[in-house]
Amino acid sequence: MNTETIFHTLGIIVVASPAAFVAVLGLTSLIGRPLRESAIESWTYASTVVGLLAAIAILFIMLATDIRHVPIELGNWVVIHLPEPHHNFHFHLKFVFDRLSVPFVILSFLLCGTVGAFTSRYLHRESGYRRFYICYSLFTLGMIVTSLAGTIEVLFFGWELVGLSSALLVAYFHERIAPVKNGLRVWAVYRIADAAFLIAAVALHHLTGEGDFDVLIGSGSWPEGQASLTANQALFVGLLLLVAAAGKSALVPFSGWLPRAMEGPTPSSAIFYGALSVHLGAFLLLRVSPILEMSFWLSAAVVTIGLLTAAFASITTRVQTDIKSALAFASLTQVGIIVVEIGLGLRYIALIHIIGHACLRTLQLLRAPSLLHDYHTLENAIGEHMQHEAGLWQRVMPVGLRSWFYCFAIERGYLDGCLDRFIVYPFRRILLFCDSIERRWTDFLSGGASRESDEVPVHEEVVEELRL
Amino acid sequence: MVPSTAPETVAGESPHADLEHLIKRAAHLLPAQGPITAFVHHNTLHAFEDLSFEDAVVKGAETFGCHPYLPEERYRQKLARGRILQRDIEAVLIDDLENDGDELLGFLGTRFHLRLAMLAHPLRTGPTAELRWVVAETESLRTFREETPPPNRDLAITDTRHWIMRDLRNGRTPNPIDERIRRTLDCLFATFDRQHIEKWDDDTWEMFTLHLLWLVCKDGVLRSDVESPTPRRSLRHRELLMDATGQDSDEYVHDLLIRFCAAFLDQGFAHWSMPNLEDGFYRTFLSLYDQPFRPVDRWARGLSQELQRLTDEDIGPLDSIAESLDLLGVSELERQGYIAATLLALRGYGGMIWQLETRGDRVAHPLPPETLIEFLAIRLMLDRVALQYVARESLAFREPLNKLRQHLSEKVPQHEPTSVDQRAFLVFQLAQLIGWNPKYLHRLSNAEWKILVSEIEAFPSLERRRIYHLAFERRYRIQTLDAVAVHSLTQRVSNTDGPSRAHRVRVPTFQVVCCIDEREESFRRHLEEFEPQCETLGAAGFFAVAMYYRGAADAHYTPLCPVIIKPKHYVGEDVVYSFKKAEDQRRSRRRAIGTVTRHVHSGSRTFTGGWLAAVFGSLASLPLVTRILFPRATARLRQLFHGFVKTPAVTHLQLERAESEPGPEPGHVGYNVDEMAAIVERLLRDMGLTNNLSRLIVICGHGSSSMNNPHEAAHDCGACSGGRGGPNARAFAQMANDPRVRDLVRNNGLPIPSETVFLGAYHNTCDDSVAYYDLDRLPTTHESDFERASAAIDEARKRSAHERCRRFETAELKLTTDAALRHVEGRAEDLSQVRPEYGHATNALCFVGRRDWSRGLFLDRRAFLQSYEPDQDDEESTILTRILQAVIPVCAGINLEYYFSYVDPVGYGCGTKLPHNITSLLGVMNGAASDLRPGLPWQMVEIHEPVRLLFVIETTHDAMLQIMQQNEGLANLIRGRWVQLATLDPQTSEIHLFRDGQFVRYRPSTNELPVAASSIDWYRGWRDHLGFAQIQHATSAD
Repeated sequence: MNTETIFHTLGIIVVASPAAFVAVLGLTSLIGRPLRESAIESWTYASTVVGLLAAIAILFIMLATDIRHVPIELGNWVVIHLPEPHHNFHFHLKFVFDRLSVPFVILSFLLCGTVGAFTSRYLHRESGYRRFYICYSLFTLGMIVTSLAGTIEVLFFGWELVGLSSALLVAYFHERIAPVKNGLRVWAVYRIADAAFLIAAVALHHLTGEGDFDVLIGSGSWPEGQASLTANQALFVGLLLLVAAAGKSALVPFSGWLPRAMEGPTPSSAIFYGALSVHLGAFLLLRVSPILEMSFWLSAAVVTIGLLTAAFASITTRVQTDIKSALAFASLTQVGIIVVEIGLGLRYIALIHIIGHACLRTLQLLRAPSLLHDYHTLENAIGEHMQHEAGLWQRVMPVGLRSWFYCFAIERGYLDGCLDRFIVYPFRRILLFCDSIERRWTDFLSGGASRESDEVPVHEEVVEELRL
Repeated sequence: MVPSTAPETVAGESPHADLEHLIKRAAHLLPAQGPITAFVHHNTLHAFEDLSFEDAVVKGAETFGCHPYLPEERYRQKLARGRILQRDIEAVLIDDLENDGDELLGFLGTRFHLRLAMLAHPLRTGPTAELRWVVAETESLRTFREETPPPNRDLAITDTRHWIMRDLRNGRTPNPIDERIRRTLDCLFATFDRQHIEKWDDDTWEMFTLHLLWLVCKDGVLRSDVESPTPRRSLRHRELLMDATGQDSDEYVHDLLIRFCAAFLDQGFAHWSMPNLEDGFYRTFLSLYDQPFRPVDRWARGLSQELQRLTDEDIGPLDSIAESLDLLGVSELERQGYIAATLLALRGYGGMIWQLETRGDRVAHPLPPETLIEFLAIRLMLDRVALQYVARESLAFREPLNKLRQHLSEKVPQHEPTSVDQRAFLVFQLAQLIGWNPKYLHRLSNAEWKILVSEIEAFPSLERRRIYHLAFERRYRIQTLDAVAVHSLTQRVSNTDGPSRAHRVRVPTFQVVCCIDEREESFRRHLEEFEPQCETLGAAGFFAVAMYYRGAADAHYTPLCPVIIKPKHYVGEDVVYSFKKAEDQRRSRRRAIGTVTRHVHSGSRTFTGGWLAAVFGSLASLPLVTRILFPRATARLRQLFHGFVKTPAVTHLQLERAESEPGPEPGHVGYNVDEMAAIVERLLRDMGLTNNLSRLIVICGHGSSSMNNPHEAAHDCGACSGGRGGPNARAFAQMANDPRVRDLVRNNGLPIPSETVFLGAYHNTCDDSVAYYDLDRLPTTHESDFERASAAIDEARKRSAHERCRRFETAELKLTTDAALRHVEGRAEDLSQVRPEYGHATNALCFVGRRDWSRGLFLDRRAFLQSYEPDQDDEESTILTRILQAVIPVCAGINLEYYFSYVDPVGYGCGTKLPHNITSLLGVMNGAASDLRPGLPWQMVEIHEPVRLLFVIETTHDAMLQIMQQNEGLANLIRGRWVQLATLDPQTSEIHLFRDGQFVRYRPSTNELPVAASSIDWYRGWRDHLGFAQIQHATSAD
């Protein structure tokens, strides 16, 4: 067996193990023979361990053979030939193992596996146990596919899986209103990011004729690629990708959704918003980093957004009074810094930063319910109540300015309010206006009230069990 | 901190004194749970404690919108599983109906039978639209309900067939009353194939019968003309607006207010504290949200002007409330209700503010008085802004707010509370189940229909649930009292020495005193099984030592006594002198590590600190993975490392005071000898441990430690107000060992033999470990006694862990006792474990009396056990009175909190733990932002069985009546049926049950009880509820 076959086999195992997990969970539910808790637990372990071992094996073989770029081709799935050759389209299923994707895959398997083990006890006897694991398996598959994607279409596929499972898990407790609303909000922001991503992908196709990263960002293994675009093309595509990354990683001005995403069970908050999902935007920027180099303005935009995010989040986290929001903004601070690092071209540092930060934050979020216990232990060790000494801001800043900043922070930078007021609201008004025109038109046509749905009462009647 | 409103609220002169009074009254409806770090169990419905239990739960349901009992379906499951028997329901129903049960209701039979039939099977109902769908689309008009007895069904079909074929098929109308049915039939025949009626098969006839039945029921209900009670309309504008538009104005208000409240109440979590905090809630809010250059949300556009106006015109909180109420058009009469409803809309925070304001001694940052008033002022002001916005946006309503409610009630018509379809569907179902045929029903007169519908409506779901609940309690009560009756008689026969400890000849090998906590029941039982020569006793777990305590490694004094007592004494723990130096080193190491940890902890959330932490964050993957995959091993390893910072094991208590006045200052810490003697005598006399003292008496406090559990303190000792009772046990033992104390106690007629040694211990109910205090002071002569006792205790805790494991689904049923101990140890250390232990879940009983009549009875960890010797009490029952004064309120509080959190886990409890988020170091909220959630989480109560606590007190019923007469508080709880009460006569073992204000002799329904050789033989292989049994190994100390 030569090295190539080994790589190919292992590579397929890495992708297939989470895919098999999705299939098993999904199919058994579909045919109405759902798995029991213990079976789901075993499958979680099995798929993670197999995938992790295969990924580690690939890492070692790559290190031993000094091969830095291992593409796994699974063929063209869609090919459309058009008269003009550069308008051809092919959907090429291709995965790439290189110095960016291998650490990311290993990290994903490690964290997903740990959180999977955690969840099996945390959600024990919960009615939504299987629902959680279905979303979880989709998420794992999405992470692996995104990390290994060799073409922009494959990356988009994984990216969508991650987005879908995230939004569904935010709305996990669908019997309450707040999780559903916040899940919808996350979903809406993700849509914006996805739209930007999709436009970028289409633009790249137009510019280069295909979606393979090899071609897009030039040959040569990551991070030494050379993009084959002009500076202006790079700026255009890069800005779209930046919007996509900003939506996914909750960078300014989309930051408002991150604390709202803490509605799901603690482990899903940990894995998604502490660890993996929130870094996905940064990963995308890393993947296309050769494009960033093409344009100074693009790099500048990346650095600026990163700085703004880091500054905003580090101010905001200081006034948070609940542990999960505090950790969410703390995460965001680091994501901002990571984006700055990427903008400055410090790719290895950014990668190390992502990995370290993901591990640390997962641990912190998973033990967030221990906060009181930990505080008690710390107070005893130090021998006094934990008081935050009056920092620089309290000593130096005048009260008026301090109040302003405090209000800015507690209102989370007014970001959500501004988005709602200046984007969502006008948008909604336009749609409502169109709706009223349509209503007038249909009323006119039917010669009376034309919408039966208007008659339905807004509120349901109370059912007997609750009536007193 | 001086509240800014002080000048305006001088007593009597304030123009708003009545308003203030209304707010204080409404405040009593708020949840009374304090900070979660010291969890005190209390009756969730404390506000209605002056009502009877049955009235209070209904009142609670009206006020809080929470369930009064379990849903009917759950009781029916219990019926199916034999936890309720049919005869319980019948007995309860007869009791409940008193003399009305036999009243004949025309052809319906007696009221008793009608209600029984209504209880027998689920009666489905729903919103009118849903019922119409059910009727049109489901099988309900095609086949009889499957619960229908086949004879009923067959009779109904044949009868109808006969009737139709004979009287109605052709044009003849034998009597005028059938004229009406003809119209109905004409419609019906249109859908059925009338031509071939003779060829219809059975299914068609069944379908036809049901269709006819349904139409007849509808027709009858239409004719019945029963008044419907008008539904209560909510006072708040928000509910009306919701009904009209589907938009929730509270959503806007809460979004802002929750964040502000959390920041205002914060006990030190946030790095930046709120500026101008000392101005009080109201002024701080006014100044904070009145910032320049602040883009505001659309709904809050009017807010800045409003804030500006309030500041400029210097309107105080009470003035502002009065103004808001006027602007909202709330009349004087409605004020009480409106204020209460407004406060309850964000009851978690409202309650916490009220707690921090009135019981500020329990937190680091208490609130100044009248914060709740200021909170209400801000809330009403925000309500106004939000209401105006919603009304304007969705209704284009631009008039003043005081017209809004009128506008809305015109817009939303009062919908019929119970529709014809809903009523008819109930009759329709009952007709099938009981066997009322369409022929009879349609011949009923209008008046008879009226009786029928009102009788059915007089027994709604709420009443049915109440009956079921009483039946459920009755079954368990009968089982318990039967078991007590049988077992106490058996014990009386086998105990030839007589029932009293005083007559006992042989001295037990050792004695163990545990807390009355029902979790110690299994521990005590296993101890008695393993070592039949020992004796166990129970007393409230603070062991009469009410103190503020500070351990050697603790930063602060914490109170360790029931919450009703405010301790006067302080006790500290010190490292013994020879270890002082080592301890100083370790203390500074602890300090250093603590400081570093703290900086890592908070620094990891900052800009640069976070960067450093994150770059080295990969190191965190190691603890992350190991702690989750191997919790127990990791904990062991951690303890190894902790060795070099831990306080040396050799410490002593500063128990004796030099100065005259107690206090926290040096020299004032501790007790004087007289006080110690009083404590020792008190406890020994309470338990009746005045003779037959063993050579070794272990006093065992308890607590619980678990990981990743915000509700950790709720598992600690209830008698130590959510603290850990080890230090109390230790202090008591030290006092009782003091020769000077013994001299004083002897002078009072209570000789403690010189060879008796007391030893303090601490039982961790989560990992079932037991630690002993001051072993180095144990006389060498007693070492063998200790070894024997500790061997027995080790075995007992293993077995107790094993018994606990039967309730944990993740523990296999075939575990050995050693494996079970390892399992519970793992649980306590597991970050992912949301059920480290089940706490007080399943508590249902409280026995006060001698252990003899409960020893050897398998109580399934459901009984609080308090030792008491009736023989040693005086005529006035002084000892019993003081015991009950503590035991009844504390145990009832625990029991009722579990009851309510189980019956409505989301309304009264705090829901599932999974999305909980600790906020302000005070409590938990759901997810990203929600109200504070008081109450118990579902994972703590899920195996609970909601029954009111049944006290079995060993005394005469006359003595008990006398105690009730003299203690209003106790009498209220008992007469209000918040607890159930029975007495066990010390002489004759007769049982009297307290019902309707008097004691009634209870006659056991059986004289047999299952017998098992040991506890494990009884519970082995079973996860669910278990009944009583006699355990042979444990039955006697002889």
